[in-house]
Amino acid sequence: MINTNVYDYINVLDKAADASWLRNEVIANNIANDDTPGYKRQDVAFEDQLKQAMKNSRYQSTDEKIENLTTGSLKAKTYTDSSAYSYRLDGNNVDIDTENVELASNQLKYNAVMQSVNEEFSNLKMVMR
Amino acid sequence: MSIFGSFDINASGLTAQRYRMDVISENVANANTTRTEDGTPYRRKAVVFAEKGNGSNFSSALNKATGNYKAGGVKVIETFEDTSSDLTKVYDPSHPDADDDGYVLYPNVNIVTEMTNLIDASRSYEANATAFSASKNMALKGLEMGK
Repeated sequence: MINTNVYDYINVLDKAADASWLRNEVIANNIANDDTPGYKRQDVAFEDQLKQAMKNSRYQSTDEKIENLTTGSLKAKTYTDSSAYSYRLDGNNVDIDTENVELASNQLKYNAVMQSVNEEFSNLKMVMR
Repeated sequence: MSIFGSFDINASGLTAQRYRMDVISENVANANTTRTEDGTPYRRKAVVFAEKGNGSNFSSALNKATGNYKAGGVKVIETFEDTSSDLTKVYDPSHPDADDDGYVLYPNVNIVTEMTNLIDASRSYEANATAFSASKNMALKGLEMGK
């Protein structure tokens, strides 16, 4: 690949799309296990990681921060959400309404990320024309 | 994390809930069955769900702790007969299955309980179907990248 930084944003968006996809999988699993006794809901932490990486960067502008971001460290990780209050006798803490809301908002987020990627690509196409 | 991973998870939820609905239907259909194959009255059946692919072994515990959780869906591990509640006794001396005192034992199926569970299963089924269409829409959106 040509030594360029035009793909910097796309690389970060790629990681965000991965995280969103994983989150969809995890929420789907929560919904599927709505009736499993003792199941604790899982979730994905990505936004916090990105926020932390941006905050800890020694650069000032967003462009520079993104340019010097090590995308390898941006790996979406799952965690067990034990904090969600379980009001059920079977020890399961999945709230189906919350999961449905998370599912819908995650889908919108994924669409937004995809749109941003497409816009980055169309910018590139425009300057190459 | 694969493309069809979330589809499989949704499918496992749909299968499990449908199976639960089948068992509930069986209970309702047999609400008045006084004679099963072994001659005893029917007892209500229920299912036990468990998480799929995440056992209590070391590697799955480690993956869970290090944030590499592998979501696998849900499975039915057991269908059990409910022996904890008593069969209903009805006085009907003319019934062929009546005992010496004229009482007939009817199944421990409570129609209200069964209908409540049926609605619960049906709603869970719908939730899984919604999750499936969300996954599908996301996958289709992913294919549009760069267009």
